[in-house]
Amino acid sequence: MNVPDISVYYFGAIALVLIGLYAVLVKKNVLKILIGLSIMETGVNLLLVSIGYISGKSAPILSEGITASNAVDPIPQALVLTAIVIGVATTAMALSVAIILYEKYGTLNVEEIRRLRG
Amino acid sequence: MNAQYASLLIAVPLISAFFVPLIKGFGKRTVKYYLMLVTLVQTAIAGAVFVNVYRTGEPMIVMAGGWKPPVGINLYVGPFAALFVLIVAIMSFFMAVFSLKAVETEPIDKYAMLFLLLMLGATGMIATGDLFNLFVFMEITSISAYALTAYNKTGEAAEASLKYIILGGIGSSFFLIGVALIYGATGTLNMAHLAQLAPYIDPKVAQVGLALLIFGLAVEAELFPLNAWAPDAYQAAPHPITAMFSAFVVKAGLYAAARLLYIMQNASGWGSVLKMVVIMAALTVFVAEFSALRQRDVKRMIAYSSISQVGMIAFALALGTQAGVEAGVFHMINHAIVKALLFLAVGYVGITLGGTGIEKFSGLGRRMPLTAFSITVGSLAAVGIPLFNIFWSKIRILIAGVEAGYTWGVALILGASVVEAVYYIRLIHTMWFGEGEGRIRENLAIGTIALFLVLLILFIGLYPNYFWTVSQKAGQDIFNVVDYVKNVPLMGVGS
Repeated sequence: MNVPDISVYYFGAIALVLIGLYAVLVKKNVLKILIGLSIMETGVNLLLVSIGYISGKSAPILSEGITASNAVDPIPQALVLTAIVIGVATTAMALSVAIILYEKYGTLNVEEIRRLRG
Repeated sequence: MNAQYASLLIAVPLISAFFVPLIKGFGKRTVKYYLMLVTLVQTAIAGAVFVNVYRTGEPMIVMAGGWKPPVGINLYVGPFAALFVLIVAIMSFFMAVFSLKAVETEPIDKYAMLFLLLMLGATGMIATGDLFNLFVFMEITSISAYALTAYNKTGEAAEASLKYIILGGIGSSFFLIGVALIYGATGTLNMAHLAQLAPYIDPKVAQVGLALLIFGLAVEAELFPLNAWAPDAYQAAPHPITAMFSAFVVKAGLYAAARLLYIMQNASGWGSVLKMVVIMAALTVFVAEFSALRQRDVKRMIAYSSISQVGMIAFALALGTQAGVEAGVFHMINHAIVKALLFLAVGYVGITLGGTGIEKFSGLGRRMPLTAFSITVGSLAAVGIPLFNIFWSKIRILIAGVEAGYTWGVALILGASVVEAVYYIRLIHTMWFGEGEGRIRENLAIGTIALFLVLLILFIGLYPNYFWTVSQKAGQDIFNVVDYVKNVPLMGVGS
């Protein structure tokens, strides 16, 4: 059995998620951790889009020559649009917190930012 | 009452949050009174919805834009949602009153906005009937929670908020992967439709998808491996926000997890996911109780105690029996009341005496008798002493646990309760027998709220049956998925 074309997207998406997760868990710099989170989100978005993808069909925008029968599933694309907006909000929030952290602690190394514990 | 009125529960806080910048022109105090007014209106709407749902026994179903599910998104305000939306609104109102005194940090208009959005997010998570809509409301809740955690602008607050953001980010990514898997397998996002299609999903996809969804929600629901943010955020957040986190933000996450669990109960391999949640919950109880024992800061100690109680609720909800779910819902109500009281009183001590370290509580019985009395009642209730409300729900959880065959879990919870008694009694001892003089005048409004909650605790402790019948109905709403599916007017697509 041939591997269907679509699976390359799945592998790519899962790889991105894992790369992001690795960065979040291993990196010490807050900014690198946040970049890792963004990469993870991108991977998830790619996974969502590829779940709705049907090989050889076009974008689900109603225009000449495009009908319901030759467009891909529009729902995952709507979900991804929402997820991207949410991701932007989270990233903005996280970066502003990182700015405060740098002002208060003078460092972005997570090992030195440890006043709360126990 | 027309079911569409229930959409006001979402609309009122949202539109009010947008009006905050206009209100700001009238002065700083006005913003706080505006916050009280909005939460009061929300309480009135939630009360009307509650009365309507319990009188007719029919859930109120809001269909967005008039599209029937599964094409449109629907809100499902059944017995559980009606009850908890009311609790969310009442607790928000109390905390809005408490904010009058407790929050002085600027910018107060941003605080009011985030406060309303937090309330909106929790309400939405409880009321929604759509998987992706749940994700959106979860993100609204968590983004406003991140911002509120960092609101005090201290280094500690930023640190706690960053931890919360990182764990929340991982959680929401997991949740979305779960959504992608479930959507890929069924082609629907509507919960009622999912329940119908659950038996036809490939068992591996169902297990992994459901486990990922639960993992994503476990961040909000503070289950063991993903709750490292909680004690820090509870300690660093402004006092009213801590009470809100404990009273209903957690509950929204727990409810969503329980709802998704029972929606998928016909999927093959369901039992193993259930077992995973039971183990996570038991570990939550155990780890949190022993961490609480070591704390020198009372607010942080109560935060750990709150987490362990949440673990107990999750344990009850994941037993997979009707008795367990009902007991869990009853415990949710009791926990909301007790922890709101404790965080209110401890927060009040924090703002009057300038800190929540255990040494500040020395001799509190002579300095602030009413506050010390409320903390005492709250502590005794939290330990689960008879005549107080948590006793009734805890014993029902334990019985349900034994019936479901989880004797080890019950033993673990009982052992943890002993630990809990140790540190609460230590706190009570410090308050009444420690050194400390100088009577302080207590605030009337906060005292009234505290007394009201104390009376509620004693009332449920003496006459548990009123609240028990209500929580039984709410529990059946979660457990009885067949009725849930029947109540949602699905278009005949695909099924």
